[in-house]
Amino acid sequence: MPVESQSQIEPTRAMWLLVARRAAYGLRYFFHFLRVYPGYAAGYIIVLTVALVSMAAPAIAPFSPISADATVYLQPPTWSHLLGTDSTGMDVFSRLIFAPRIDLAIAVLGTLVSSVIGTAVGAWVGYFQSAAGFKSFLSNAVMRAADVLQAFPVFVFAIALVAVFGQSLNSLVLAIAFVNIPIYLRLMRSQVLRIRDLRYVEAAYIFGVPDWLIIGKHIVPNGIAPVLAQLSVNIGWSILLTAGLSFVGAGVRAPTPEWGSMIAMGFPNVMTGQWWPSVYPGLALAITVFGFGLIGASIEFLADPRRRRTLAAGTGLVPNRA
Amino acid sequence: MALIRQARDEPLSVGSKKPVLETDNLTVSYRPYGLPPVEALRKVNIKIAPGEILGLVGESGAGKTTLAKAIMGVIAKPGVVESGRLLFNGTNLFQLSEEKLNQLRGASISIIVANPRGELNPLLMVGQQLANIARIHMRVSARQARQLALDMLKAVKIPDPVRRFRAYPHELSGGMAQRVVIAAGLICSPQLVISDDATSGLDVTVQAQILDLLKKLARERQTSMLYITRDIGVAANFCDRIAVLYKGEIVEEAPTGAFFEGPSHPYGNLLLAAFSHNSVLRKRWSTELEQLQKRETPALACLFVDRCPLRQGRCWQEHPELRDLTPGRLIRCHYPVLRHRP
Amino acid sequence: MIVLRYIGSRLLFLVPQLIGIVLVGFVLIKAVPGDPATLMLGPMASADSIAKLRGDLGLDQPMPTQFLIYLEKLIRGDFGTSWQTTQPVLSDLRTRFPATLELVTYGLLLALLIAIPLGVFTAATKRRAIRKLGGAYGLIAGALPDFWLALVLVFIFYSQLHWLASPIGRIDLSVVPPDTITGFYTIDSLLTGNWEALVSSVQHLILPVITLGLINAGPILKMTQSTMERMLGSDFSQYERLCGLPRQLIVRHAFRNGLPSIITIVSVLYGFLIGGAVLVEIVFSWGGAGQYAVQGVLNSDFNPVLGFVIFSALFSLIVYLIVDLAYLAIDPRIRH
Repeated sequence: MPVESQSQIEPTRAMWLLVARRAAYGLRYFFHFLRVYPGYAAGYIIVLTVALVSMAAPAIAPFSPISADATVYLQPPTWSHLLGTDSTGMDVFSRLIFAPRIDLAIAVLGTLVSSVIGTAVGAWVGYFQSAAGFKSFLSNAVMRAADVLQAFPVFVFAIALVAVFGQSLNSLVLAIAFVNIPIYLRLMRSQVLRIRDLRYVEAAYIFGVPDWLIIGKHIVPNGIAPVLAQLSVNIGWSILLTAGLSFVGAGVRAPTPEWGSMIAMGFPNVMTGQWWPSVYPGLALAITVFGFGLIGASIEFLADPRRRRTLAAGTGLVPNRA
Repeated sequence: MALIRQARDEPLSVGSKKPVLETDNLTVSYRPYGLPPVEALRKVNIKIAPGEILGLVGESGAGKTTLAKAIMGVIAKPGVVESGRLLFNGTNLFQLSEEKLNQLRGASISIIVANPRGELNPLLMVGQQLANIARIHMRVSARQARQLALDMLKAVKIPDPVRRFRAYPHELSGGMAQRVVIAAGLICSPQLVISDDATSGLDVTVQAQILDLLKKLARERQTSMLYITRDIGVAANFCDRIAVLYKGEIVEEAPTGAFFEGPSHPYGNLLLAAFSHNSVLRKRWSTELEQLQKRETPALACLFVDRCPLRQGRCWQEHPELRDLTPGRLIRCHYPVLRHRP
Repeated sequence: MIVLRYIGSRLLFLVPQLIGIVLVGFVLIKAVPGDPATLMLGPMASADSIAKLRGDLGLDQPMPTQFLIYLEKLIRGDFGTSWQTTQPVLSDLRTRFPATLELVTYGLLLALLIAIPLGVFTAATKRRAIRKLGGAYGLIAGALPDFWLALVLVFIFYSQLHWLASPIGRIDLSVVPPDTITGFYTIDSLLTGNWEALVSSVQHLILPVITLGLINAGPILKMTQSTMERMLGSDFSQYERLCGLPRQLIVRHAFRNGLPSIITIVSVLYGFLIGGAVLVEIVFSWGGAGQYAVQGVLNSDFNPVLGFVIFSALFSLIVYLIVDLAYLAIDPRIRH
């Protein structure tokens, strides 16, 4: 390749070309992966479907999710009320497809917040654990504080947080975030402890690269894989927590549609045989969380270089290397 | 000097009895998912007579461990035994069921591994592990098995064997753990013992002791050995015959004395020259990398052609077969080295 | 000797850890809006009586003082009183904590019974399909909401099939609970020969225990399967195979080597479930400690919450101590 034409490309454009090419390869690999393992693909399909349905809910839902028609209460599933009605006459199906807007939003936001904070603090704590002086003391103090926080019964802790912040959607997000921070903190910390002993980190340090740059550029990107795998599973678990909180009345308030509170409202009726107001929301919960769990498992697979290479080798997707 | 002469004595029974182990055109390849297969062993033929110690010498990646695994029957995906027979006392091991093979392992054919502390079970006492092996293969009671284990520990000259019986693998030094693994390999008095690079990680003095011990025990019990190593110097003092493995092929096989007087294959000479004090010899047999022209190695060439200082036109075109040079010496080369000048 | 010293040093850490937990709990609970005095006296109470009650309860003191007063009472064994039950918290917990413990213990036992054989089997098998099934169980069990599963089981086995007793509480209303020795209805009725109570309490235990068992088998199965796979692929397992040891023995050894990881997750689950079984407790009106604490938070009844937090934390710490002792027993490498 003639040298002159290359020198005419500015460095930033060359860099973007490289990024674009890498991204394209990554996407092609990802779709190939989904084709070879349809099991994992199911997870993505489930979550995408739930998200899309909930976003399209205003258009799809036959009834308003909060309007109660007392004349048709506790009707079993029929063609007009696909999943029946609950004890106040609200249509179960409409409420079912509106509910994920709240559940997903709270869980995703809460998990994102907790992962960002937890990862950042965890990386800092791990890096300075055996540093001289005040930094290591602070690092150990943070770990002891995390120990104490984690010794708290999670559910009681979450309810108390909601009570403290007032029962609103924001406080639910905060409660979910709070409860999950120790997980990411510990995960990132153990990764950092493993990585900072590697030689290239030592080399960067000797070259005088400032600490925050080392953490940001070298350590975090290399340790982030388990965190990414944990994210999806965590979102699923946070959905369950939100539903549980709503079930005891400490989460989303009626009549806002939410799967957990729907189950709570239908609870007394189950004993007398009207199962549909409670069973369907639970089913929806289970399927959604299962989808997130599958996604988490697929990320674990993709993050493992051995399995990734094995899959790539058989496909002709391997980029041109010697 | 006496030691070397002793090693060059003819082994106890060559050619008179049926070989303990014989491979017949054994070919093993690795087939990684989606990639072209790699041949690890190509048509390997080796014979080990009863009571004989065969040294298998080769560099990393030559296929030595693959051969050991093939003999033990533990080749796992992506490795595949493509063709050939593996005869142990006349029986083709490839036709036996896994259960029968398991009965043979440890009892009739055993293997001494490298890195013993990593291979022993960390949660069990080493004596107990020896006793387990004895218990499984021989019809003995638990108490008898423990006694056998203790006897074996004494035989491998572990200091303070009674106390060491109750030791855990992490409490032992490298040399002691190696002795335990040797004990495990010999406790059932197998007919064939494979040593896979078993002494390479040890201190030199410890290595010498272990080798003396192995040799003594092998001769005492008429055990055949396949001694796999990268260290050709050790092989000189220890083995009765030497086989050289290069890229999955046997390129030379000879009695030790004859081999070390002068190898016939260029690769063997390269190996010896690397150890030699003689600067002329070293110069003659070193390959200056710049001198060698890189050419595409065609499929049917000799496998050594890109590193061989003696290569000629024919070597690029014709793959040499293993043939008899003199009775008892096999060579795979178009232009073997016949006269050796100091 | 080493063991005693180890226990001693751990117990030494116990006290400051507990104080830390009480402190955090105290701060948290005080941050919850809601005035206990007002709630206790009701909406009709006069401002004076409210003020007087606050003085009696010590609620008008500054926070640090309140904390110290609480600590001092704690040391004397006084956990305060719950204004909802009007009983001292300690006596409330004396019945409620064993109730939760009984439920969680049996639930975990069932989970172990399901998960460990399945985990070992799926890891040791050569068929990939079975291994994937094991993974699928873990995913599904982790996705089911426990309170929903409880509801479904009640619906099927009580409402529809009428196989089991009414799912309210730990024992039939018509049956007298056994005399309290341990607080476990099953054990106590066995010890006092009270067969009627035994049968009734077992009947009431079946559904909630199945719920907890099925769901918590998930994480245990995952951990067992992955640990066993790691052990079976490790060097020492290969070596045992090379020595000709039978497969059964190799699997048994691999399990023993993998026990520490499995014990870890069981202990974490045990501590978690003390508070985590609350939703199941609510569905079955179990009268357990988690329920007690949740009611406390929702109604600004502080003492039950703090009492529960302390009990639960103490329990977790003791479980971790026992587990660490178990590690010492299993793994000789740690003893040095």
